[in-house]
Amino acid sequence: MSIVREALKNLLSKPATIEYPKKPVPIEKDFRGRHYADLRKCTGCTLCAIECPSNCITMEKLPENAKLKHNPRGLYPNIRYMSCVFCYRCVRVCPVDAYVTTNEYRLSSVKEVFSKELTLQTLG
Amino acid sequence: MENGMVEKATSIIKIPVTLEIPIGPQHPALHEPVLLKIYADGEEVVGVEIGTGYNHRGIEKLLENNTFYKGKFIASRVCGICNAVHENCFVRAVEYLVGMKPSPRAEYLRVLVMELERLHSHMLINAIMAEIIGFDTLFMYIMRDRELVMKAKEIVAGNRVSADFHMFNGVRRDIDDVKRDKLIDLLRRVEPRLKYYRKLFEDDPTISKRLTEIGVLKAKDVTSYGMLGPVLRGSGIKSDARAEDRYDAYNEIPFNVVVRGEGDSLARMLVRWDEALESLEMCKYILEHLPSGPAAVDERKLPRTFPAGESFARVEAPRGELTYYIQHAGGNKPYRVKVRTPSLNNIINSGFSYLGHSVADVPVILVSYDPCISCMERAIIVDLKNKVEKRATLREIAMKEVRL
Repeated sequence: MSIVREALKNLLSKPATIEYPKKPVPIEKDFRGRHYADLRKCTGCTLCAIECPSNCITMEKLPENAKLKHNPRGLYPNIRYMSCVFCYRCVRVCPVDAYVTTNEYRLSSVKEVFSKELTLQTLG
Repeated sequence: MENGMVEKATSIIKIPVTLEIPIGPQHPALHEPVLLKIYADGEEVVGVEIGTGYNHRGIEKLLENNTFYKGKFIASRVCGICNAVHENCFVRAVEYLVGMKPSPRAEYLRVLVMELERLHSHMLINAIMAEIIGFDTLFMYIMRDRELVMKAKEIVAGNRVSADFHMFNGVRRDIDDVKRDKLIDLLRRVEPRLKYYRKLFEDDPTISKRLTEIGVLKAKDVTSYGMLGPVLRGSGIKSDARAEDRYDAYNEIPFNVVVRGEGDSLARMLVRWDEALESLEMCKYILEHLPSGPAAVDERKLPRTFPAGESFARVEAPRGELTYYIQHAGGNKPYRVKVRTPSLNNIINSGFSYLGHSVADVPVILVSYDPCISCMERAIIVDLKNKVEKRATLREIAMKEVRL
């Protein structure tokens, strides 16, 4: 490796890195990113909370005004993304395929992030 | 002197000054928390004590307390770099217990993920070696090209590092033709770069002068100290769990076991480059000859409990042979899981190889063993009666030199 040649080559070429906040990072469509439960399908069976390897799913009570016929126990999963390892075990064990998966990976935050808001939005 | 006569000295008194130099656990040259206590006489290393225990997480106990399905994800987090081989070994040990046999396509895909992992692991340690010897340009170049392999792994498994790809009786995702073409294109772009780096490590005077004859291990040493993986193959011993056991699809995929006889740090790095090229060829072969049929399993239909028994599986990790032993008394949790990782043998037993070299060579020799400290944290003895912790090597425990 000749350092003169490499230096010249690098001065004349573009940087290899992606200027992240300005340009988006190319990410696969099926990357295991942020996922949340869809309340139109979720039956509140608690299987995802039992099977979660990092114990980051807690089952919470639905709001008072929301009465769902297919969810007699009135429970829904709330994922704590800060402890989630994104293994998608919950997505795969769900008997009604209630989880919505995205490739969203930008989850860093100074506060705890939960899936509660996204899940309750699915009520419409 | 007074009479003008010069008295000749009859003896010289030499006071040996042995300096104790701690290298690590926090050290710019070491990327992992391990303590090498070096005793140096001048510049020469006269003794080495290897201290570990900075990264102990109690994974084996954690595996006992969790179900097999949770344990699969915990096992893959023993080590970040070689997560797929840990996963594969655990999954195969459980499959032997139950008598499951995954489909041929699933076996091929497992091998694909493991070989991609070997590829990026070998690139990483070669990049770190370049950085340690002060060749930062090469470090940057290798890390840039490693991104292509990480992208390939992201396409197959859904994540750059933590694959979480295996499941009992198969794999968790399948690949289609679009993904296959993307992967072949990525591998085609990696190949010339790998060949270039391989040539560079062989020809470049900076690298060869720094690594030749450093940390020489003879074939007798590596076998008597039980070293594994590229360290073993760099000293002329042909041993590879992939070729010996032919697990998963390794019986159908052609590959060569790379062996070099020199036994020095350069030979170990070149073994890794050659293995990386072999892995690349294997990945290409897999993508071109992928059998049709189902691969992904429905995780909802897998059994909740497994029959009692014990099983043992071994796998060739990027760093050497990795073994899992599972003892199961029935139910959904294992009674005992024993993990034996290659770094445990390669690092703890390697103290003799530093002797006689200069202090500056110590990081080079350590990196040439490809240390993976998170894998090897095992033996801390906790005396519950007196509430004291003490550290001991596994040999001391086996020879009953340490009272448990």
